[in-house]
Amino acid sequence: MKQFIAKLLLVAIIAGLPLSSVRAQKQTAPETLIRNATVLTVTRGTLQNTDVLLRNGKIAAVGKNLNASANARIIDGTGKYVMPGIIDCHSHSMLDTINEGTLSVTSMVRTADVLNTTDVDLYRELAGGVTTLNLLHGSANPIGGLNTVVKIKYGRPASEFLFPGAMPGIKFALGENVKRSSTPNLPGVTRRYPNTRMGVEETIRDAFIRARDYKRTWDEYREASKRDKNLIPPRRDLQLEPLVEILEGKRYVHAHCYIVSEILMLINLADEFGFKIKTFQHALEGYKVAKEIAAHGAGASIFADSWAYKIEAYDAIPYNAAIMTRAGVVVSMNSDSDERARRLNIEAAKAMHWGDLTEEQALKLITLNPAIQLGIQERVGSIEVGKDADIAIWNGHPFSVYSRVDTTFIDGDVYFDRAQDLAQRPELAKKRAALEQAEPNRPRPKGESPQTPRRRPSGHADDDIEVEKP
Amino acid sequence: MPKVRLCLLVASTFLLLNSNANAQRSAIDTYAITNARIVTVSGPVIDRGTVVVRNGLIAAAGANVNAPPDARVIDGSGLTVYPGLIDSYTNLGLPEAAPSPSPGGGGGGGGFFALTPPRPASGPNSTQPPGLQPEVMVEDVIRPGGNEIEASRNIGITTALTLPRAGIWMGQSALINLAGDTPQQMIVRSPLAMHVGFTPLRTGGYPGSLLGVFAALRQMMLDAQRYRDAMQIYERAPRGVRRPDTDRSLAALVPVLEGRMPVVMLANSEREIDRALDLAEEFKLRLIIAGGREADRVADRLAKQKVPVLLSLNLPKRTTAAIPEADPEPLSVLRERVEAQQTAGKLAKAGVRFAFQSGSLTNMSDLLGNASRTIENGLSATDALRAFTIWPAEILGVQNQLGSIEPGKIANLTIVRGDLFDRNSRVTHVFIDGRPFELKPAQESPKQ
Repeated sequence: MKQFIAKLLLVAIIAGLPLSSVRAQKQTAPETLIRNATVLTVTRGTLQNTDVLLRNGKIAAVGKNLNASANARIIDGTGKYVMPGIIDCHSHSMLDTINEGTLSVTSMVRTADVLNTTDVDLYRELAGGVTTLNLLHGSANPIGGLNTVVKIKYGRPASEFLFPGAMPGIKFALGENVKRSSTPNLPGVTRRYPNTRMGVEETIRDAFIRARDYKRTWDEYREASKRDKNLIPPRRDLQLEPLVEILEGKRYVHAHCYIVSEILMLINLADEFGFKIKTFQHALEGYKVAKEIAAHGAGASIFADSWAYKIEAYDAIPYNAAIMTRAGVVVSMNSDSDERARRLNIEAAKAMHWGDLTEEQALKLITLNPAIQLGIQERVGSIEVGKDADIAIWNGHPFSVYSRVDTTFIDGDVYFDRAQDLAQRPELAKKRAALEQAEPNRPRPKGESPQTPRRRPSGHADDDIEVEKP
Repeated sequence: MPKVRLCLLVASTFLLLNSNANAQRSAIDTYAITNARIVTVSGPVIDRGTVVVRNGLIAAAGANVNAPPDARVIDGSGLTVYPGLIDSYTNLGLPEAAPSPSPGGGGGGGGFFALTPPRPASGPNSTQPPGLQPEVMVEDVIRPGGNEIEASRNIGITTALTLPRAGIWMGQSALINLAGDTPQQMIVRSPLAMHVGFTPLRTGGYPGSLLGVFAALRQMMLDAQRYRDAMQIYERAPRGVRRPDTDRSLAALVPVLEGRMPVVMLANSEREIDRALDLAEEFKLRLIIAGGREADRVADRLAKQKVPVLLSLNLPKRTTAAIPEADPEPLSVLRERVEAQQTAGKLAKAGVRFAFQSGSLTNMSDLLGNASRTIENGLSATDALRAFTIWPAEILGVQNQLGSIEPGKIANLTIVRGDLFDRNSRVTHVFIDGRPFELKPAQESPKQ
């Protein structure tokens, strides 16, 4: 029987079976009461034998012996752990395409235009206790596209995924990916500018000078058009508008970077134009300039222990999170990978091993800190009354490799439930068998040999890889 | 006697087909199809009646209509007369598609219709690269004749919307009749619609990804809005205003932005259709969806916003043989093949207007068979016929000219021995602009 279930599981994973299940899976109840659990609040310590009440999509109460209304769903939390939904500050899940790589400045492109709500990775991430993603453009250009912050409302329309009130953001990138270090030099083919880190700096500076001029042109037009109705308005430029928003402090910059020189370069450049970098993404050498990053007011969103996968990644150390945290940098641990995104709890736990962060500091790496980095800390990131009911129930401490998620809630609704998932697999297997028997799916007597289903790389440490999702 | 007449007709038709244009124009132009079952689409079915065609138009149709004395008479016993079928999304009449360039070739630009260098089809003096030239008109490049047009006619198609093969702003389509000796004779209406595809350029230039495609579409529409405003300001009082540059690409988008010309966006999956709807909403476009494989999943929104669908009958089916050691096919693929057959029926129930189209079927003789599959999966036969006739005519704005058998409409007729959607039936004649074509029995394609 165990083997049978294992096989079913395998088939389900390969074939993306959960997809269909979840459309029907979202369970709505006005109230949910989790009784007698260990609650990892993140901001108010760990509470033993505590109840959590979810009502109308919010955390309504945290305490002992709470009462719920008659129709509330009651979950026995004995022996279980409740933690806030994990926030992944660097994800490319549910994007049909990641890079617009033809130009060096692509601030006109928007990840919100290419969302794929049926991406099965989303379901796997829910099963890892993740509830919020920062969907970033790739790192093919010094100034990349606009990001999208989403709640993983798998099975719902794309418009419901969008995190209300999240700060708009944009991807920048520095170093090897943007200077196309891994692009082959072909005779007769002009390489895209820039090809050096000096050129990267010039590209970004040039873009902001253009943005400053653009803003001035519009300001002047608005002033002059009050007197002269016959003025032809300036051109609206979708490339420069987001850069003006950065200059006005209305858009966060998430900058992919590796080494000290480029981190300092970007801090200086931002100071020159009077804006802030919100996060340095990856920042493998961040520990070397932790004070400078903290002084600028930037955060860092990093890997736990990935390194040496390319030249600029050689000086990484696993103490990065601990050193930067102690220097006052708001640090988060991200996935940049559909695979790693399922186990960010373990990535955070590593920071207790390497560098002796406290449990609460380590928890913050995947909850409150990424929330701060995305401007959503008033809504999510900890278990506090009034915050969104985005939580996960674990069957053990989330920092144990043996623990797994039982149930994941977003806005008080269930989006992943392990027991329900397992229970409906026989039914799904039947549905699959019926589909295979349908006429259009019957194998042809003669025909091509079947193609191996396309599998995407399960994990990549760096987001320059263009993955076209099927 | 009728037999003699029929023989005469066949002989004269043969002559007609082989004579030059002038001869055709002066030849017989009055026909009567007698004793036929007439499916008018606009009214009740006439079990036994006569259709009179004169001067390229339908002159009369009914149970009590007599053949005029000057008419060539076709004995329609055992035949059913339908309005000519309309294929609402094709590349008919276009020059052959050239093979696509090898990836990574870089530079060179590329011609428009297949994005290959040699073809000079891109708009001259355009401000935009090929693929982003909305000013391109299919009217300028179509040619009469050719195997593809004949293949479509052989299965009963008399009219087709034809559009450029590729691009983001693909260009402007024309509605053509599948007969005529010059492009001008073929055209029923041009330009009919603007066409958008969400396929990135393959030239190495921007936009090279779906992300960029949306940004480029948006930027050009914003530029076109400004272009229109700037031109208006300038024309109101040119003295003292610096003259704006003219731009044919942006000028071509103005009727689209003002809702005077519909935009057909190619979108098959649920998310592609949602994105098209979002973009159309953002710029208040008159949207038509083409493809529409998962349109049933967006049916509520399509119905509410009154967005019609040009639904592809290129239904997916498994093409591979059974090999036990192969991986199982993904569930999404299995489901898509089954559900694609049900889309038409679901759209009809949800009140979404749609028209059938061939969706670049490689074998046109599958078209009516695939329509039958949609009937087996929930669509009524009546609606299936409408989706080939009056519905495309309405969606494309030519319902006063085409789509039903009514006096005064263009004499496009499809005449079938048996029922159109019966797999054993045979299209025997089509009339196009009142001109008869006797059809050879469909050549059986090698069974797959």
